[in-house]
Amino acid sequence: MILLTAESLDLVALVAAVFNSEHGGTATFVGTTRREAEQREVVAIAYEAYEELARAELARIAEEAQARFGAAIAIAHRTGRVDVGHPSVMVAASAPHRAAAFSACRFGIDELKVRVPLWKQMIYIDGAEEWVDGRDRPA
Amino acid sequence: MSEQIVVTVRLFASLRAAVGADRLSLSLPDGTPVGAVWAHLPGTALPGDPPAGLRYALNHEWTLPGAPLHQGDEVALVLPVSGG
Repeated sequence: MILLTAESLDLVALVAAVFNSEHGGTATFVGTTRREAEQREVVAIAYEAYEELARAELARIAEEAQARFGAAIAIAHRTGRVDVGHPSVMVAASAPHRAAAFSACRFGIDELKVRVPLWKQMIYIDGAEEWVDGRDRPA
Repeated sequence: MSEQIVVTVRLFASLRAAVGADRLSLSLPDGTPVGAVWAHLPGTALPGDPPAGLRYALNHEWTLPGAPLHQGDEVALVLPVSGG
């Protein structure tokens, strides 16, 4: 299950998507908007996706998790505005044993953060908005 | 002289905001490398060289800056990502 959505995320649905009666462990990760970033107060983060390639890249991560850990993995990520305390990303991974489930879950979120074309725009309490996409770092 | 082609350029995040559009049509010589698209973007908000870490996608798959563009292609400029 790969999901990019402007709607609220549903962890129960994600866990159900990786259910397998041969798997004895399921690990989950939930990422939420944190109130503080670099000593500034955040009210929300807005996410933008290059949807076609983001879906393809998430599907590849899921295939790799299967090949490396024997795990079933589901990943959901929000688009649009996510207020402080609300989930922006969820990963669920099931595997025959817990070690592989934890490893696959961590692999899913770690790879997402470096590979999947999604960007965050910080929205601060003073009304300032700031994209996090490397454009403030000259070549 | 090369035949002119029309390609679509997809823009995201601060690039989209700077250009003021999430997609553009550009007329370029056939075979123009993907990496040359940056220099053809309109507006004064994007001076100089491409930002460090810029990657490219061609028709929804990753590609390299040297890949040639052809009629109807869609190229995306992919800034360093920050999901999660």
